[in-house]
Order: sequence, then C-alpha cells, then structure tokens
Amino acid sequence: MTADWNLSRAFQRVALPAAVAATIAVLVVVFYYPVGHVLAAAVRDGGRLTIKPIRAVLTDPFYTGVAHHLFVDPFGVPAGIADWIAAGFPSVRLGLFGFTAYQAALSTVASVLLGLPGAYVLARYEFRGRRTIRSLTLVPFVLPSILVAVGFRAMFSRRGFANDLLGVGGLGPIELLGTLQIIVIAHAFYNAPLVTRLVATAWEGVDRRQVESARSLGASRFRAFLDVVLPALLPAILTGAVLTFVFTLMSFPIVLTLGGLDLATVEVWIYARVQSLALQEAATLATLETFLSLSFIYVYLRFENRQVTTRGAGQSLSRERLSIGWRTLVDPRRLAIAGYAVVVAVVIVGPLVSLLVESVTDPSGQFTTAYYEFLLARQSSGAVGTVRPLPAVINSLVFGAGTLLLAIPMGTVVAIVATRGGRGSRLAEAILTAPLAVSGIVVGIGLLLTFVFGTTVAGHRLVVIGPVAIVFAHAAAAYPFVTRNVAPALGGLDPRLREVARSLGATRLRALVEIELPLVAPALLAGAAFAFAISIGEFDSTVLLAEGVESYTMPVALERYVGTRSLGPNLGPATAMGTVLLAVTGLSFVVIDRLGGRWEP
Amino acid sequence: MVPVSDVALREVSVAFDDVPALEDVSLSIETGEFFTLVGPSGCGKTTTLRTIAGFETPDSGRVEIGGEDVAGVPPENRHVGIVFQNYALFPHMTVRENVAYGLRYRDPPDGKSTGERVTELLELLDMKGMGDREPEELSGGQQQRVALARALAPGPDVLLLDEPLSALDARLRERLRVVIREIQQELDITTIYVTHDQSEALAISDRVAVIADGHLEQVGPPEAIYREPATRFVAEFVGDNNLLDGVVVSTDPPRVSLDPGGGLAEATTTAHGSGTTIPVDGVSDTNREVTLSIRPESLSIVEDGSSRLGGSNGPITLSATVETVEFMGDAYRVHCEWQGRELLVKTDADEPPSGTVTLSFDPESATFLEAP
Repeated sequence: MTADWNLSRAFQRVALPAAVAATIAVLVVVFYYPVGHVLAAAVRDGGRLTIKPIRAVLTDPFYTGVAHHLFVDPFGVPAGIADWIAAGFPSVRLGLFGFTAYQAALSTVASVLLGLPGAYVLARYEFRGRRTIRSLTLVPFVLPSILVAVGFRAMFSRRGFANDLLGVGGLGPIELLGTLQIIVIAHAFYNAPLVTRLVATAWEGVDRRQVESARSLGASRFRAFLDVVLPALLPAILTGAVLTFVFTLMSFPIVLTLGGLDLATVEVWIYARVQSLALQEAATLATLETFLSLSFIYVYLRFENRQVTTRGAGQSLSRERLSIGWRTLVDPRRLAIAGYAVVVAVVIVGPLVSLLVESVTDPSGQFTTAYYEFLLARQSSGAVGTVRPLPAVINSLVFGAGTLLLAIPMGTVVAIVATRGGRGSRLAEAILTAPLAVSGIVVGIGLLLTFVFGTTVAGHRLVVIGPVAIVFAHAAAAYPFVTRNVAPALGGLDPRLREVARSLGATRLRALVEIELPLVAPALLAGAAFAFAISIGEFDSTVLLAEGVESYTMPVALERYVGTRSLGPNLGPATAMGTVLLAVTGLSFVVIDRLGGRWEP
Repeated sequence: MVPVSDVALREVSVAFDDVPALEDVSLSIETGEFFTLVGPSGCGKTTTLRTIAGFETPDSGRVEIGGEDVAGVPPENRHVGIVFQNYALFPHMTVRENVAYGLRYRDPPDGKSTGERVTELLELLDMKGMGDREPEELSGGQQQRVALARALAPGPDVLLLDEPLSALDARLRERLRVVIREIQQELDITTIYVTHDQSEALAISDRVAVIADGHLEQVGPPEAIYREPATRFVAEFVGDNNLLDGVVVSTDPPRVSLDPGGGLAEATTTAHGSGTTIPVDGVSDTNREVTLSIRPESLSIVEDGSSRLGGSNGPITLSATVETVEFMGDAYRVHCEWQGRELLVKTDADEPPSGTVTLSFDPESATFLEAP
C-alpha cells in the first residue's frame, strides 16, 4: 500500500465525524447562536442577568390580561376569583397571550370537527379518487400559509368569489375579513387535513377481526365502534389536536393578513415590535413564546411515548362503496357525507379555486391576463407600492436552491447519525433536531440581532447580508424535512448490505456513498422537494430578514400586496403571484408524493 | 506440512448491553478447513462470525487471522469474504456489478482483469449468461450463487458463511450445500460456516463446533460429534437420541444402573429384572449420576422375548411396549415405552412393529455423559 492510499483511508475514516462536526457548526451559526442571543437579550441588561424584561411582560395586563394578577399580587388571586364568581362571571380581559391561546383553542376545535368526518369517509368508504384525496391531505405541509391567507381573501373578501356567488343568488354581501371567524376557518383549512390524515391512518390500522369478535360477542354496530374502534382513534385525535394547537399558537401570516393588528397574536405582535425597533421587548416575547411552545411539545412527546402502537398484520375494516346507485340520494349517511363535501368545498377547495379565478378576472368580472403580464414586467418601480414581482419570483427560486445546498447535506448527516446508533448519537440527534421546535420568527430575530446587525467574533466584526441570513433561516427550517425522509429509509436498509460492502474492502464512507445513499435516493429527493417547498413558502423569518425590495421573496411580496390598503379590493397581482407559488409548491408536492415522501409529525 | 492455524479465537468474550453473547470462546481453524459453527438460534454462532469479520469488537480476548492479531483492523482490511442468509445483494447493481464490487478495492488474484475474474466466478457457480440480470430477477438459489461469487471474487483468505441456505427450500438446500463444499475444496479456502441445522453441519464439515449459550460445547469431526457427544446438550441437539439417567453402581467392573428409582439399593437387585445395569468403560466414581446416550439406530427390535441383563460384553435387551409408529419412507421411527421412559428406535423392518417388543443394543454403542 502506498502512502497516498493510507492517507486517503485516514481521510475516509474521519470524514463522517468531520461531517457531523461541520453540521453542528453550521447549526450553531444558523440556529443556536442567533436563538441563544434572543434568549439572552430577554434576561440581560447591560451585561447583567435580570428578570426585569420578563417581569415587565408578565405583569402587563396588555400581555397577560387578567392573569397579570398572578405575577403582581399572587396572594390576592383567591380573593379575586371569589369576587369574580360573586359578580356572576363577568367577561375577563384575556391579554395578548390569553387571546393567542383562545384563538388556538377555537382553531383546534374547528380543525378536529372539520377533519374527523374526512377520516371517516377516507377510512370507511371506497370511491373514485379516494387515494388522490388521501395523498392531498399532505398538501398543507408544503402549502405556504401566506398563500392560504391570499386564497381566503380571494374567497371571502367583499368582492371575493364567495360574495360573487352569493350575489348571483341575490344574497350577501358578507364581510368576514378582520374577524376572528375567518382566522379560525383559515386555521381549520390548514390543520383539518392533518387531523384527517392522522385519524384515517389509525382507523385503517384497526384490525377488523377485533370488531368482528366484538360483534359476535353481542355488541351492536355502534357499541363495537365505542368499545373497539374509538379507543384506537383517540390517541390519533389527541395527537392531531395537540399539534394543531401548537401550530395555531405560533400562527403568523394567516393572522397578520386576515386579522391585522386588531386581532394580533403573540407572533404578530413580536413582528410589530421588531418593526418599531423595540427589539428587547420582541426578544422577551419570543423567549416566552418559545418556552410555551416547547412546554406543549414536551408534554406531547411524553404522551406520545406512552402510546403503544399496535400495527399488526391485521386486516383493515372493509370499505363500503360510497355510491350505491339511486339509493345514494336517500341514504341518510351518504346525504350527511354530501353535506360535509359542500363544507369542504367552501372552506378548503374554495380559497384555492378563488385564487386561480381571481388571478384571471378583472374587477368587472372579465377575463384578463394583466396580472400575469405584470409579474413578468421588468418595471423600474413597481406599479404596486415599490414591490417588484419578478425579482421576488427569482429570489424565491435562488434562496430555495441555496437552502437545498445547505439542507440536503445537513439533513442527510443528521439522518445518518440518527440511524447509526452508538454512543453520543442520541445527544447529537437531540442537538440536531431541536430547531424543529422553535418558531421561524425567533430564528429571524436572532439572525437579525446577530449577523445582520453585525457581530464580533474574535476581534473581527462579522456582518452577513440579508439574503445569506435568509438562506440560513430557511436551511434551519428545512433540513429536518430531509432528515425525516432519509432517516426511515436508511434505517430500513438491511445493515448487511453495508457489512458485505465493507468485508469486500469498502471503507465506511465508501459503503455509504456507493451502497446506502443510492438506495435511499428517492427518499433523499422527496426530502429535497420538501425542503424546497418549505424554503419557497417560508414567511416568518424572511419577512424580518428581507432588507428591502431587493431581497423580497414571493411570500413576502404577497403579504405586501394584500397588506397595501391603497390597493383596495383589487387582489389581482397577489392572486397571480399566489398562483405561481401554488404551481411551484404543487410541483414539489407531486415529486414528494411520487417518491413516497413522508412527514409524520 | 504442519497445518497452520488460519483463524483463531483466544478466550474471546462479547457482550451486548452487558448481556454476554460469547464467553471465553477459544477456537482454532486450520488453513483450508471447512469449519462449521452449529447451535440453536441466539447461541452466539453468528456473533462469532461477525467478530471474525470485524463487525463486532471483543470485550476481551483476541482474534487472529493468518497468525496476526486483528484487533483494530477494520472489516475492509481483514480480507474475508462473507455471505449472509438473505444474500444482501446490492439491489441497484446487476449481477456482474455485484460480483465485481470487491475488485474495486482489491486486484483480482492471478493477475487477471476484473472482467475475466467476474466471468470466471460466474462460470464456477454456473451463472454464466446471468451477468446482466438485476438481483430481483433471480430465484433465491441464484441469488445465493451470486452472493457466493461476490464474496469469492477478490480471493479472500477466509470465507464466512452465515446461514447461507436457511432461506431456501429443503431440496435446493441439499443441492447447494454440495456446490458450496465442492467449490470450497476446489479453491482450498478456509471456510467458516454457521448453521442451526445440525444435519447440514454434519454433512459438509471437516470439523464442527457446537455452541450453546455463548460457549463451546464440543469441537470435533462430525463423526465424533455424533457418536461421542461430550455433553448432554450435544447429545440432544445433534441427531435423534435416547437419553437415560442412571447411577454408577460399581467401577470394577464399571457398571451403571438405569433403575428408575435410581437408588443404589435397588440397583444391586436388578438381577431380578426391575432394572438394568450396563457394563461401560470410563466411569470412575460409584454413586455418581450419569446419563446414557443411545442413538435410535443403535437400538434394534429382536424377535426373542425376555429382558436380559448384560452379563459381560454381550448385547443388552429390554422389554418395551410400542406406543406410536411413524413411517419415514426408508425406515420406521418407533416410539416405545420402557419402564416409564420413552425410547426412540429406528428400524428398517418391512412391517410396523406393535405390542410388546424386545429392544437390543450393544453397550459399546452407548455413550455416558455427566448428568445435568
């Protein structure tokens, strides 16, 4: 063996540990350092530790509502509750945090109510397009929430599609924008498919022999459902509810564009604070919000660990045909399903169709391509405010490509660490997956406070321009999706493939590159498509980091369009750009679906 | 030439999460030997193989290949070929690419080109013309041949086979094991074969090691393992067997009582037919409990009736009752009852025996084991 040969072997043996170290280093830069900075800003005052900023938030009735008494005068709380009961339960002030939790709770109830019938239909009925609808329940994971907001505006605004339809019947108009209802419905649009997906999977996992045993032991159809099926569904329903609650607690673009500051949630208010440069207050709020959401996720994970997943080789319950000829029209259950389909059409299909319709309809209702022409026009100063559409489209694609460059290697390395086991891998996995639990706006503020404003490292002042910071933030948000797809595929590979390769002379790295990675290529591609979709749709941190029109992305431009009051009811450019965004994410979705991509929360 | 020990384990112990999988195993396998590790599942035989290949690290002890300690040598530098039960063919490569894979890292032996070497091996394994197939297009037996060709292509020093035939049906298994044995002899390659099938182990090995619970029970040629099992475990695991507990009643001449009561007092009165004493070699202490092992084929059914106690060295006869008879094609397996114990007899009689029969065996064919 030559010296070169030995050197190359030595390199190969350190390559994997080096890749892990590099990934951790990148995470420190794009995630831990910035987020740590936010947390530090909340508890530091001129270099000294202090609880003042957190205290200030907690004791401010604006933030904590009636709960501020807990922090101001904890001993007076029992008496206060007694007074409140004596006064006959008058309505209380919720405060910003209270309102945020309140809307999240309402949204959770709405999502579960809207999602459960869907699970029932998908699990128990056979009909044309069932599989397609089932895979479409994955769409919310790749659909940018700002797009949902634009779709809802297109559907429900005064001149929206819904009012157009109502107008035909001589009804309306209705005004839903700026109300709590529209926010809750939009959240249901987003999260009901998640509930449907989780519960349908659980329902399909019920072994029909269990139900048949119960029936033959004397249980009625309904009784068997209560005793056998429902207990199997409850964990999935609860999982869906908890996830929906956490997601809607941190919801940002939907509330921002459909509710505005009047209905602000914590995230929206943090954004408003950053806009008015009240950075410490924003950091404090972000810290409290992160603490809250992490607590919920912790409780959820504890709960999830206790669940026993029984996925035997059992046979699923058989599906009924949905269509049974003319009797379909008189069967009460099928009529109820038809009613449900109408609700789904309005709430879920409606906004997306309105988006498409409005993008080619001018205010007088005539067909037009003006909005798409506007997207392509290289105007020196945009017709709408100063937002130029074409650079936003290009930026989104460039940032998406940059995100892939970071997220694919990072996500793959994390997947390897997670599946290889061994000492320290669990710790590494925890460090590597923590970014999942932190909202984009917190990462955004962190990057803003550190690299964008400039930070001093070893005597050198380091400043990173907005676009780079945006790619950092996108990579931190996107790489877990690569991991979630690649890790199960790697874990599912027969370890003996790797062992055979090694006994034939391949180093660990060569075996990985030549045998394992080619075999998980579809999962890697699905993960990449996910990552790209996440980057394309990312709004929370991008809106903070985009320094000006030059680094706007499609979602940020969309928000600017719908947020410009002077624009009035004309949504044209927004719906046109929204359609482009929908097409790009739709393409990602097709790639993900074709390659069997997965995202189990 | 003095046989060289090609692979050696010196007091090797391996544990997984503090559960011992191998305890103080010492083995020495000679160059060109076909050595088989046999034992029930979970006994540690696969762990032994994986430790030799470098996929497990011993907690203590040494592994030597070609006389050198291989501690710290990664699997890719050990120059062993391995074949797994599920073949583990690379699904994204053709047959030819699979076989050529190891030649990316090692030059083919005898100065051949990669192409020549691959063709040579495909021919050796009767897979000529299959080179461009995908693994999934092949039958199980064909896949196993490709796996074998792939392991052999770089000319490894040692061939490791981990239950290579277990996934195949019985007939194919018997055919392929002959193929493996022929190729091993043709290439004169040191081979370590792992199986749970004791008949397979006996059929193709130069030597067999029986493993149970992480330690060696017995190592020896197949004939010795079968005829002179060293422990009760080996006697029960390898082949069918009748195990009868008894007590040493005298050492000069050596005699063992099979009296069901086991007590010495009754044993001395066995002359009246309530028990049987058997003259044996090699039992030293009186009163010691021992187990007698008699193979079913060592027992024969004789015409003449009564129980006869072994006087000197003549055959011993027992009067037994036939309970169940299984027809095996070439023989009958007869389950008899003798003094409350079950005895299995193999006979090639034309008619199935029934009722009361007399069983006869030569005391020379019985082996004594320490009682558990």
